[in-house]
Amino acid sequence: MADTIYDLSQLEELAGGDEDFINSMVSTFLEHTPNQLEELKKARQDGDLPTMGKIAHKIKPNIDMFGLTDITDTIRELEQMGKNEEDKPEIKDKIQQVDKVLQEAFDQLKAR
Amino acid sequence: MKLLKIFVVEDDKLYAKGVEHHLQLNSDNDVSVYPTGRACLGELYKEPDLIFLDYSLPDLSGIEVLRAIQNSKLSPPVVIVSGQEDVSTAVKLLKEGAYDYIVKDENARERMWNAANNVRENAKLRTELEQLRQELNYKYDFSNIKGRSEVLQKVFKLVEKAARTNITVSITGETGTGKELVAKAIHYNSGKSARPMVTVNMTAIPAELMESELFGHEKGAFTGAQARRVGKFEEAHESTLFLDEIADLDLSLQAKLLRVLQEKEVTRLGSNRPVPAAPRIIVATHKNLAEEVKQGRFREDLYYRLLGLPIELPPLRERGDDILLLAQYFLDAFAEENQLQGLKLSQEAREKLRHYRWPGNVRELRAVIELSAVLCSGEQIEASDISFPASGDDWGDLWAQNLTLRDYTRKIIQHYLDRYNQNVVRVAEKLDVGKSTIYRMIKNKELTLK
Repeated sequence: MADTIYDLSQLEELAGGDEDFINSMVSTFLEHTPNQLEELKKARQDGDLPTMGKIAHKIKPNIDMFGLTDITDTIRELEQMGKNEEDKPEIKDKIQQVDKVLQEAFDQLKAR
Repeated sequence: MKLLKIFVVEDDKLYAKGVEHHLQLNSDNDVSVYPTGRACLGELYKEPDLIFLDYSLPDLSGIEVLRAIQNSKLSPPVVIVSGQEDVSTAVKLLKEGAYDYIVKDENARERMWNAANNVRENAKLRTELEQLRQELNYKYDFSNIKGRSEVLQKVFKLVEKAARTNITVSITGETGTGKELVAKAIHYNSGKSARPMVTVNMTAIPAELMESELFGHEKGAFTGAQARRVGKFEEAHESTLFLDEIADLDLSLQAKLLRVLQEKEVTRLGSNRPVPAAPRIIVATHKNLAEEVKQGRFREDLYYRLLGLPIELPPLRERGDDILLLAQYFLDAFAEENQLQGLKLSQEAREKLRHYRWPGNVRELRAVIELSAVLCSGEQIEASDISFPASGDDWGDLWAQNLTLRDYTRKIIQHYLDRYNQNVVRVAEKLDVGKSTIYRMIKNKELTLK
């Protein structure tokens, strides 16, 4: 499908034609990732960088699975900054970018 | 082939789902997912064959769970799955005894798939190695079937012929005549000897479980089917399946067995997908299968499908001096096992063995000889050291044989003749029958004097 921010080709390959499995994975993604995103933002607000890094670490494989290539590097950078407790000003921008892409992905996936 | 029981310990529901789906593409994997370390540790009694363990769990650290698993009874291989591409962590975990370390990247699922295949292959090799070790303790060459009698030489020739091809073999013979030994001799001298022979005894498994035992089932196929199970037919694919006491197979399953034999594939209970199952078949029974067909207890079409090369094993009492040869063989083996000096049989002991009817055949002979070796004092076994089991004849199941009165009479008199050293006068007195009756029956060859 054109103009989507996500790419389900990796998921489709895994599903091997099992459409129910794809739908179930999309539902799980829509159910869990918004909470993880909120936790990520809150950890940043609280200045809890190690927790921010751990949440970024958890979200990372799912971002890869849904082909959200706009933020695959960004989420890794956040993970690394959290792990190293590097309180850099660009963290805020990076989280905003992750937030924006994920929100758009949620909307598009709900409408698919 | 046993199902590989895999635990996936992963708190990210989405990732866990993806892994579970991927691993279950192989129907020989039985995958369970646990969201915490404690949940996994609480289920270790289910004896998983492999555990994929996420390094970052909400309750316990990866290393704590790894150590707890290693301290468990079976200590299955643990593959750490982590999002961190951190070499020092990986090295540390491998040193702690982790089976492998997989990074959650685009190749992770493929590597998990390969890890499961490796563990399965290793488990299979270990099982086969163990079975082959056991087989080596007891070589199944033809010389293992002891005996020089003419009737047994005929059997040897058939066994050799059977081993050269994949023809179905049906072995008949009384209990204890060595049907399984002959089946193994055929298998381990055939082109299929690289894999272990798979044996199913039709009388050892309840009828309601036999279908699943032979053909396998899927998880949830019936109440109590908690996991997928591979049936013996599938397990014996490209090997030999030995169906012992085939006459006792339930009639309803006989039709399914026939279909599997014809189509060379099997469909597990609860599945629609047939899988190849074309083992070489050897069947055995102590019953007369043709008679079972006549009585309507065995399907005629299956009978002809299974008949193949028939091999009839002679009862021990018809093998002449094989009795003494086997007796000395068992005696030597027992002496060696128990570090005893070479034991010999006295002339009277040999006569006693020769004149007994051996309803339990070679199996009974072995038991009698081993007992006599224990009871004897000195290096020679006397007749008095030899005692036969209380039901050491076919007396116990006599009533189940549905004989005519004449046949019962014949059996009873023959039994007493054997017991009283063929002394017709004494037997006539004991049974209160006329001597002339016994002599007439001997003349008519209804009774035999030895």
